Amino acid sequence: MTHAIRTVIEKDLRLAWRNKSGWLSAASFATLAVLTYSFAFDLATGDIRPLLPGVLWTTFLFAGIFAAGQSFQQEHEDGTFDVMLVAPVPVTAIFLGKFTSNLIALLVIEFAQLLLASILFDVGLLTLELLGIVVLGTVGYVSLTTLLSTMGGQVRGRSVLLPVLALPLLVPLLIGAVRATGASLGLEAGSGPWILLLAVFAMWSTLAAVLMFPLAAER
Amino acid sequence: MTALLGRLDALRPTVLPPVVGVAMMAMIVGALVAAPREIIEGEVQRLMYVHVPMAIATYLSFGVTFVASILLLWKRDMKWDALARGSAVIGVMLCGLVLVTGAIWGKPIWGVYWTWDARLTSTLVLFLIYTAYLLARSIAGPLDEMAARYAAIFAIIGIADIPIVQMSVRWWRTLHPEPIIFQPNPALPGEMLAVLAVGFVAVFALAAWLIGMQTDVERASQRIHRLRAEVDQRESA
Amino acid sequence: MDNIEYLFAGFAVVWAVLFIYLLLLQARIRSLHRDIEHLEERLADAEAPAGTAPRA
Repeated sequence: MTHAIRTVIEKDLRLAWRNKSGWLSAASFATLAVLTYSFAFDLATGDIRPLLPGVLWTTFLFAGIFAAGQSFQQEHEDGTFDVMLVAPVPVTAIFLGKFTSNLIALLVIEFAQLLLASILFDVGLLTLELLGIVVLGTVGYVSLTTLLSTMGGQVRGRSVLLPVLALPLLVPLLIGAVRATGASLGLEAGSGPWILLLAVFAMWSTLAAVLMFPLAAER
Repeated sequence: MTALLGRLDALRPTVLPPVVGVAMMAMIVGALVAAPREIIEGEVQRLMYVHVPMAIATYLSFGVTFVASILLLWKRDMKWDALARGSAVIGVMLCGLVLVTGAIWGKPIWGVYWTWDARLTSTLVLFLIYTAYLLARSIAGPLDEMAARYAAIFAIIGIADIPIVQMSVRWWRTLHPEPIIFQPNPALPGEMLAVLAVGFVAVFALAAWLIGMQTDVERASQRIHRLRAEVDQRESA
Repeated sequence: MDNIEYLFAGFAVVWAVLFIYLLLLQARIRSLHRDIEHLEERLADAEAPAGTAPRA
């Protein structure tokens, strides 16, 4: 099982590196979003710090959803997804492999955005606690976006549909992540409960995705 | 068991419309005339007699969607897809009405149309999830079994998400205090409870009637697609 | 009679939405029945004994 997962991860990461365009688009989108927010909010108000958690997490979510759509699009067009399903590999391994490779790619993009935001907003964002929050939150949403992007395979207009499907499900994640980030930046007291909420959501969403993926992958 | 359900289903067109008609009339009279005037809130409080039953009916409708989705994944019979879609349509409509009547009730009473408290936020998220469900499902054809399965999976995850949403908003509200607008309802006098009970009967009967009709429409749509395929096949033979 | 305009608005919205929904449903049912009739006709024609000229 673990060997299968590792193989899928390696394959996906290799593919991601070869077809950089999809991931670069997601990274560009995230960068532009942060820049736009920075500009717009600087025009609006002097102190941007309270807005930072919201800015970061909306950017991460939109970039993550966008990226999920892109990465699956490629695989669907190549037909490799169906081939993988036929292989004598446990379906859950396929899901965990895709999940992990998406997670790694997104964490890279998010780290770059944290770096950028630190500079633009003149805030120390690269603390261990904040990085931990970002990792936990990303795990929470990547499981659902990976599952949903798999299901959207054949549908036209999927790129618009994916956010409409994903965002309502991710409301608790957004609440927990924004609050935890805010607390970590000292904007409010106590990041503990929010980190707990993020952990609960991450466990729930990953469990739900792992349970549902076999049903979604049936042909 | 199936035979009994079949007989009940056949009775729908004859039994439900008069029940709905009578109950709705009784509810209107009760809500607008018979119920005593509430001292603090005034006349707008009478919206409660539709608002509360519709909220419960919304949950029941989406509950039907949830069960139908499970049955679809289990039995793979497309009639469950029709029921899931039918009850989702009615659920979304009722949910929208709950949100709107709630906002209309809220404005004169609390001064705001909207606030991000646990109940309102989860109701809104529920509305968004099932609107997304209907949108996603309708993009594919009525007979598309794979699309139906995907939609069913989404519906199931959606329902499972709602408790998490409520928990997270409640956490948000207790740890980040805002003026708490919603107080638990004080005990209602007998006449109000009676009208409310009538309201429940009326709205539940209405929901059952509408879900039945909408599901019939979905099944008819499936049948047409099947017929079309058959006709094309025969004609080109 | 305080806040009565809100009461009116609330009930008006409910009835309007239900009414519009029922109208749309009726229209859809009618069009579906028409389609079913046409299709069943065509099916009967297509199953007609050989030698019948196909319809244009």
